[in-house]
Amino acid sequence: MKAAFGLTIADKLLVGLVIFLLLSLYGRYWSSATPGERFRVSSIVNGIQTMDFGADRIIAIEGPLGTTRLQIAGNRVRFISSPCHGKQCIHAGWLADAGDFAACLPNRISLTVLGLTKEYDSINF
Amino acid sequence: MIDCEQKPPAGKLVTPARDDLRIAWLAALAIAVHMVEAVVPSPLPGVKPGLANVITVAVLCLYGWRSAVWVAALRVLVGSLLIGTFLTPTFLLSVSGASASLLVLGLATRLPGQGLSPIGLCLLAALAHMFAQFFVAYLFFIPHPGLFALLPLLMTLASVFGIISGLLTTKLLAYQGALS
Repeated sequence: MKAAFGLTIADKLLVGLVIFLLLSLYGRYWSSATPGERFRVSSIVNGIQTMDFGADRIIAIEGPLGTTRLQIAGNRVRFISSPCHGKQCIHAGWLADAGDFAACLPNRISLTVLGLTKEYDSINF
Repeated sequence: MIDCEQKPPAGKLVTPARDDLRIAWLAALAIAVHMVEAVVPSPLPGVKPGLANVITVAVLCLYGWRSAVWVAALRVLVGSLLIGTFLTPTFLLSVSGASASLLVLGLATRLPGQGLSPIGLCLLAALAHMFAQFFVAYLFFIPHPGLFALLPLLMTLASVFGIISGLLTTKLLAYQGALS
């Protein structure tokens, strides 16, 4: 026996190869989601609008309860005010990756970040 | 026409060779390990340590690839009959995993030089086993790209369990060497 457990050269090569394989698998399948390119706002009053992130700004969207404001900054978008009760839309925070989704149900507004390819936020079957 | 002179006496139709008896014993051992593992619940469904692989690799190191194939094949067949999964999807997964690991083990024993130690062999076998099962599961049972999110985790577990099996095999072979 050479080493503690008799590891041969081939063993060490194999271990190196396995570590590389595992890292590339994690990189390939567990990497963070693709950053969003645009976002889509659906409102029962204004209809569906798709916008580019573009310059930092605040936009107003009308809903049945009143005006909901969205802030766009650094290729991210979030709800900053909404005339709803729960404020879940605001607590959803920044949306940046393709497939990210938030909605203000009382004010009938939803917000989806779009990527170059369509990503699903969740799938059931 | 059957030549009566050449007919073997009754009760001696099949004379098991020494190898046959050894394979039967080792397969019985592998089946026992397989059964115990099947009964012990796993924290992750479908993931088990694959300790029966210890027997396969030990047989490979001691008696060669042909014996290892026999032991693994008998384990998968008899194990599935005893557990009740014969010809079910589980059985197909079991067969594909065992075939893939035997295949890479067969190739690995042809490596030049020192080749792989039992640890390397077990690691390789565990990875091949998991990989084959994953792709059979993907192709036949769950053809959904979402399944690939599990692949890194499954391969990591396979590596960990492969190395543990390898350490156990090393111990087992050292013990066997001390006995004989």
